[in-house]
This record gives sequence, structure tokens and C-alpha cells, in this order.
Amino acid sequence: MIQALSFRAAMTYAGSLALVAGALVAGLVLQRASIHPANFALVFLIAVLWSGIAYGLWPALFASLLSVVAYNFFFLPPLYTFVIADPSNLVTLFFFGVVAIVASNLAARARAEAVAARERAATMESLYLFSRKLAEVFTLDDLLWAICFQIAHLSKARVVALLPEAGALAVRAGYPPEDSLSEADLAQTQAIFDNRDAAAERQQPGRLFLPLRTGRGNVGVVRVERDGNSADRAEGRRLLEALADQAALAIERLNLAQDIERVRLAAETERLRSAMLASLSHDLRTPLASIVGSASSLRTHRRTLDESAQNELIATIEEEAARLHRFIVNLLDMTRLESGALAPTLELVDVSDVAGTALRRAAEILREHAVEIDMPPDLPLLKLDPVLFEQVLFNLLDNAAKYAPGGTRIAVRARRMGQAVHIEVADRGPGIPPDRMERIFDKFYRAQPADKQRAGTGLGLAICRGFLASMDGAIAARNRAEGGAAFAITLPIPARQPALDAA
Amino acid sequence: MSAPLRILVVDDEPPIRRFLRTSLSANGFHVLEAGDGATALQTMRDVAPDVVVLDLGLPGADGFDAIQTLRASGSAVPIVVLSSRTDEAGKVRALDMGADDYVTKPFGTDELLARIRAALRHRLQQEGAQALFETGDLSLDFIRRIVTVRGQDVKLTPREYDLLRLLAMHAGKVLTHRFILHQLWPSDADVQYLRIYIRALRQKLEANPAQPKLILTEQGVGYRLKSPA
Repeated sequence: MIQALSFRAAMTYAGSLALVAGALVAGLVLQRASIHPANFALVFLIAVLWSGIAYGLWPALFASLLSVVAYNFFFLPPLYTFVIADPSNLVTLFFFGVVAIVASNLAARARAEAVAARERAATMESLYLFSRKLAEVFTLDDLLWAICFQIAHLSKARVVALLPEAGALAVRAGYPPEDSLSEADLAQTQAIFDNRDAAAERQQPGRLFLPLRTGRGNVGVVRVERDGNSADRAEGRRLLEALADQAALAIERLNLAQDIERVRLAAETERLRSAMLASLSHDLRTPLASIVGSASSLRTHRRTLDESAQNELIATIEEEAARLHRFIVNLLDMTRLESGALAPTLELVDVSDVAGTALRRAAEILREHAVEIDMPPDLPLLKLDPVLFEQVLFNLLDNAAKYAPGGTRIAVRARRMGQAVHIEVADRGPGIPPDRMERIFDKFYRAQPADKQRAGTGLGLAICRGFLASMDGAIAARNRAEGGAAFAITLPIPARQPALDAA
Repeated sequence: MSAPLRILVVDDEPPIRRFLRTSLSANGFHVLEAGDGATALQTMRDVAPDVVVLDLGLPGADGFDAIQTLRASGSAVPIVVLSSRTDEAGKVRALDMGADDYVTKPFGTDELLARIRAALRHRLQQEGAQALFETGDLSLDFIRRIVTVRGQDVKLTPREYDLLRLLAMHAGKVLTHRFILHQLWPSDADVQYLRIYIRALRQKLEANPAQPKLILTEQGVGYRLKSPA
């Protein structure tokens, strides 16, 4: 680094020398043309000015000195000596020297301003590019990495970004990739992060600490570490600080976005919780009230009630207890789904067999409906958990019985379609409002929330979707052209089918 | 009139024991009760009941241990297990350990009585082999190997006949997949073959194979042939 610098300095002096040599050659040519030597001073001044603009103050002064010497040696009598015979020439040489020095200064200042302007433009450019890059980043890790990369790139140093985690700073990103600092370095960085006014501490030989400050306080620290003790220029440090400020803003933007997402999630959780509580208290209390009421009527009025009234009360107790049971089954299934405790046992299963057991279980709920089953006898076996799939069909039948009026027809159909089997449960109820087609599979969602008569759990369809997903299946709802809702299950056909003669 | 059958009810929940005591007594059983496995085993030794109703979810020495201890001691007393839903594995395990049948809580008294009667009948059957079996529309002549449904002869393949015969010999009682496979396919075979044979049998025997009335599936556990009468 130091060798490279002195080489570059040597080159500027060599350049000045070359410029003065050029002026000398021009002077010698003009001398042949018998032009008066007093005019040559201006030719040398061009070389001095040029040196100042191209190389700065010291090379320009060097050029001035060379010019004075060369002018004296080649053009002031006696020629080719450093002696000056005529005192008036001495005066000329003196003023030439003064003009050259003043010109050196002016040219060097012009040069310095041009350089500074170029650097400012470059700074603005990199700040602009950096802020555009930061705006495109959406995760904190990517953001921190971009910050480290940019600062490391500009300052040719090792950079790590530290953010507070659980009360203490921790390394979150680094360039070149690095994920740890020594205990001492970490403690030092922590001290600077905690004491945000200790500006003096922020700069130490070879190290620079850039606090990431926002309106809400420090959000982190970027630690820059250079090899050797090369001094930072103030200009460079200002750029790094500007980058750090932009980085802090970007981090704050991401933090705010995360806060908003957290609040949204909390609100959603809260909405679900209150929906669940509403559902629980209503759906548990309604059947319990019927059971308690019927049982106490039977006890108190047994002697005065006729047989049909007694049977009515007993039927109420049985049916409402069964409803309560279905509700609890749904709650348990939902809990199994959400806790991830669901472990389906997938076997090759005859779908019509499962449909049969689901219908047997649902027989009591479906006694007012006509159920029509259409399942080809040669349907392929499907890879299913028969117990879970029975619950899916049961929930769909329960749903159909709830929404379709008594006396209507409920159809259970299965068809092979290419490499899948479609199983459909279709009713002749009021159908599903089109804008709620997807929401009905949400937890605790009811197509008609105000409708207390069809008290359901709001869980049945969510369980269907969850159970089917665990068996590589899917479910979708549609309204039938002839009226009513239809729920279609799609399950893939496994490649290998057993054959009778294989046994 | 013979002495009433003694039934031992093992359940840690007093309300369950109370309703079982009432219902079973009303159906002519002499009911004994135990609230845990140790008391149950003690009662077994002291009284030797004719049938046991056993809750699988007992605390301490649980229901499975009780079944194992009973069968290890050589007792052949019929055991009907009370189990919870979502525990198909537990049901299968209890059946494989030697329980005769199960009902899932919550259950109706009718269902439990049907299981108890099927288990008792099965013990009696084993003592004297039967020549003719009839349930619903189905009749099966074990000696001539003739199967008729609604008065019509039905042609079964030898394997289908063996499967039906096995189910008929245990009519009314659930048979686990493993038990059936072990009896019919002594070399290893998969439950999926069993499902194919059941489907074939239903198509030959059932009036409506999609809603079977004779061969019933206990999802995740096994099959049960409708019990006679």
C-alpha cells in the first residue's frame, strides 16, 4: 500500500518533469525562430499550470523550480551557465518564479475542488444505489448482509453488523461472512452501543463503530475493522455514516413491518379465540339445556305424562347427547390436527366400504333424508386411513343433513376420473353463497352465522380439509345447477392395485 | 329357572358403573363391580364371574394388564372391553390379547347387551359344533358347504367360502384383520387382499353391497358378521 502510494507520487513528479521538458523543447524551437527569450517564460508557465491541474500543489512547485533553473540555463546570457550577467534578467527571473508559485497554488486549488466535486458525486451515486438496494430487501438477514457488503466494499475492511437480541448485542451478519467476535470485541461493541454519546470511543486505530440510529433510538451497531493503521479520511467516514443512517432507516422499516404483522396475527388469533368461545358456549349449552330439561321433566312429571310424551323426552335426551358427542369428536379432531398429533395409517382401502360404515354411523341423523349411493363395484382401492376418511364422509353427511330440508335427497357418488377418484356428497339444500365458497372450510366459519337452528360446530369442513390433506386428498365445494351444494373429494389412484389371484 | 349369570363390571367411573348396574340387573344379570384392575383380579379369583365388562382406560394396573393376567391364568371368561374413540390401535391390541369384543364410549345399553350375548354364545358354541348357520337372509351348511341367500344358492370360490365360514363361526363377534389373515393366509398376506375378498363376498351376498347388512366393517379394527336372531 505504502509502496504503491510512493510510486504514484513519483509518477506525478515525473509527469511535471516531462511537462517542463516539453516547455524547454518548445522554447528551443522558438529560439531558432529568433523570437525574444522574454516570451519563453509564458511557455514554462503553461507547464507549471498544467502540473498544478493534473498533479496538485507539490508537483506544480517542483515544476516551477525546474522552470526557473531551465529558463536561466538555456535562455539567459551567458547561455548554458547558471550565471546571470544582466541584473534586469535577474528581476525577470525573480518575478517569473513568483508568478509560477502563485499559478501553482491556483491550479492546485482548482484541482482539489474538481476532485472533491467528483468524490461528492460518487458519494451521492453510491448512497442512491444503496438506498435503492435496501428498498428491495424484505428480510432482516438479507438487509444486514447488504449493509455489510456495501460498507466492506467501500472501506475495503472487515464488517460485522450487530443487533440486540434478548438484551445483548449479537452478530447478525458479516462481510466477509463471519458470525462471531471475540468476547473482548463484543464487550467493547456493547459498551459503545449502550453509551451512545461516546463519540471518541467510536474511532480507534483501524476500527470504526457506526451506530445504527433511528428516531426510536439505536437499533444496532456496524463494526468496521481495517488491516493496519491507515487513517480514514473525513470524507470517507461521512459516507460510511450516511450509509449507516440509511441502513438504520431500512432496519426500522422492516421492524415496523414485522410489528404490523405481529399485531395482525394477534388480532386474527383473538378473532379465532372469541369465535371458538362463542361456538363452544353455544354448542355445549344448547344440547345440555335440552338434556337437563328433558330429564328433570321425566323425573317430576313421570306420572302425569302419557307414553308418547315420555318417549319424546327420552328421544330428546338421546339425540342431544349424540349431538354433544359429535361436537366433542370435532373438537378433539381439530385439536389432533392442530397439534400435529395426527398420524394417518395409510392402507389400500375400498372406498365403498368406508362409505358404508359412515352411512351406518350417520343413519340416525339422516333418517329424514333419502340417501342415494352410486359407487361402481370396480372402483380401485385408494390409499387412505379408513378411520379418518370415515370421519370425513360422516362430517359431509352431517353437514348435508343439517342444511338440506327433511324429505330431500342426498347423493353419495364415486367416479374414476383419469388417475384419480372423485367422491361427491351432494344435497338439495339452499346451496352456498358464492362469495363464501372458500371460507366455509375455515375454522369456526358458518355459512349462515345468524342461523341458530342449524347449530353446527363450524369445524366439520375444516376437519375434512385437514384430514384429506394428510392423505394426499383435496376437497372443493360447488353449487349444483339443479340447486343444492356438492362437496367433491379428489384422491389419487395408487399405482399398485392388488389382484384376487395374487393371494 | 337357572341361576342368573354373574357379570363383573370394571370401570373407575362411578356414574358408568351405576348405569351399567341398573341396566344389566334389569336384563337379568347378577352384577359385581370393581373400580380398578387389582380389585377386578381379586374378584375374578373369589367369584369367577360368567362374563367381564372391562374399561380399557383404568388407572394403575390398566385394562390391558388385566386381560393379560386373566388369559395367562388360563381363564376363558368372555371379556367385552369399553374403549374410547380414536383408539383403534388400543381396541386391536385388546382383541389380540384375548378380549372377545368391544364397545366404544359413549354406547347404548342395546349395543353392549348384544356384544355380551354374542361373546357368551360364542363360548357355548365352541363346546358343540354346529351343522347349520343362519343369520338374516343367509344360511350356511357347514357339512355340505352350501351357501344360500334369500333361498338362492350362491357360488363362492374356496377362499370366499373359508372367509365366510370363519366369520359365521364367530358370528356377532368382531374379528381383527390380523386374526382373519392368520387363519386364512398362514403365509404372510396384506390386509388389502382381505378387503378385496370382503368386497367380492358382499357383492354375492348383500342385497345392497354399498350398504351391507350381513358383513359389517369395524373401521380400523376388523369385520363382524351379523349375529343370528
